[in-house]
Amino acid sequence: MRTFVAVAIFGGGIAHATLGPALRIADVAPDIPLIMVVLLALRRGPEFGCGAGFVAGLLQDAASGGLLGVQALTKALIGFVIGAVGARLRVSQPLVQVPGLVLLTIAEGLARFTLLKLFRFPAPFGELMTYVVLPQALYNGFLGAALVLALAWAESTRARTS
Amino acid sequence: MKIRAIVLLGTVAAVCLVLLTLQMRGNIAGASDVLAVVTTPIQSVLARVNRATVGVWSTYREWKNVRAENRRLREEAQRLRVEALRVTETVEENQRLRRLLALKEAMPLATLSGEVIAREWGGWVRSLTVNRGRADHVSRLTAVIGPDGLIGRVVDVRPGASIVQVLTDPASTVGALVVRTRTQGIVEGEPRGTLRLKYMARDGSGIQVGDLVVTSGAGGLFPRGIPVGRVRAIDDRGSALFHYAQLTPAVEFARIDEVLLIVGEGTNDVAALFPSPSD
Repeated sequence: MRTFVAVAIFGGGIAHATLGPALRIADVAPDIPLIMVVLLALRRGPEFGCGAGFVAGLLQDAASGGLLGVQALTKALIGFVIGAVGARLRVSQPLVQVPGLVLLTIAEGLARFTLLKLFRFPAPFGELMTYVVLPQALYNGFLGAALVLALAWAESTRARTS
Repeated sequence: MKIRAIVLLGTVAAVCLVLLTLQMRGNIAGASDVLAVVTTPIQSVLARVNRATVGVWSTYREWKNVRAENRRLREEAQRLRVEALRVTETVEENQRLRRLLALKEAMPLATLSGEVIAREWGGWVRSLTVNRGRADHVSRLTAVIGPDGLIGRVVDVRPGASIVQVLTDPASTVGALVVRTRTQGIVEGEPRGTLRLKYMARDGSGIQVGDLVVTSGAGGLFPRGIPVGRVRAIDDRGSALFHYAQLTPAVEFARIDEVLLIVGEGTNDVAALFPSPSD
């Protein structure tokens, strides 16, 4: 399990830049490391979520050639917050998963934008939200919900067979 | 919440902010290089895997496209085959109608063209239903011909159609003569769908296989000279009064689609309008 988690964090962060384009729909790619961090944080709590977010984000920064630390910080924050409040949410419901992931992606986008703005990132807020963050948020919502369902199915199958 | 978690978050945030600040000041160029040492080989492997997967996927998609195109082309070929058959059918129909029109124009008698809309081909009755009837002033016993020769006569007239008794009908009899020997006789239909010429033995000694038999015009029902058939075999009955000759009909009754009904009266010899005996 630990190996799986390590591969998920390390591989996911790097794979995003390499394999992400293959999952593009209408020029929108999902933020797989974010989904992964959320899923891990929900299962393992805020500390793990924060650490996983930091590592995945840092690798994502390094792989994509951006400023090191931006996504590391935003994803660490997301991981921490979800790890802390996730226990109080009924996250097994798709009606919670899809809008939840949409909101988290928007929150991460806003945090990233704020952070980059502090370090003189010149992109216009409206366009960034309309063409990048919102479409990606929707994609993440549905992909994340599908992953949650797939994991739940895999676990129930494993429980039945063992 | 545990203090440890908050401390961890604070540390992470501090590290990130320090990283960002140092990058903005240009003091940490080596950090990305160190991370690149870890990330680049993994990225290379993943890219290779990705390319291979995409390759397999695109091959599969191409195969699917080829299959879909194959299916589309098959359907197209089938459609074209049907269309070609339709064109052939139209060409054949055109040729038939041209021949019929030529005959109609050359015929010295008034004629009416008709289309065969039904056939009765049982052994008891052999008839055609033509889409010309009382409304077209068709009368009973009207002669019906085709470009190759005599078909029969109208035996029943209905408001919009007529029933034509075909020569091969067992009840059909037509006055005829052998062109070469001028031997007179009667052409009769037989239950098995064949034709025979009944003639007096003393008149028919010279009849040979292949001789053309045409309408004699006797009785005024049919114009003289319309081909009826050719002698296929001679049934010599020795000293009997009548002998018989089996005929091959001039017209292929099963393949008739259009006919001419001779509605005018006259006794002209129309033999010249049909294919000559040597054809």
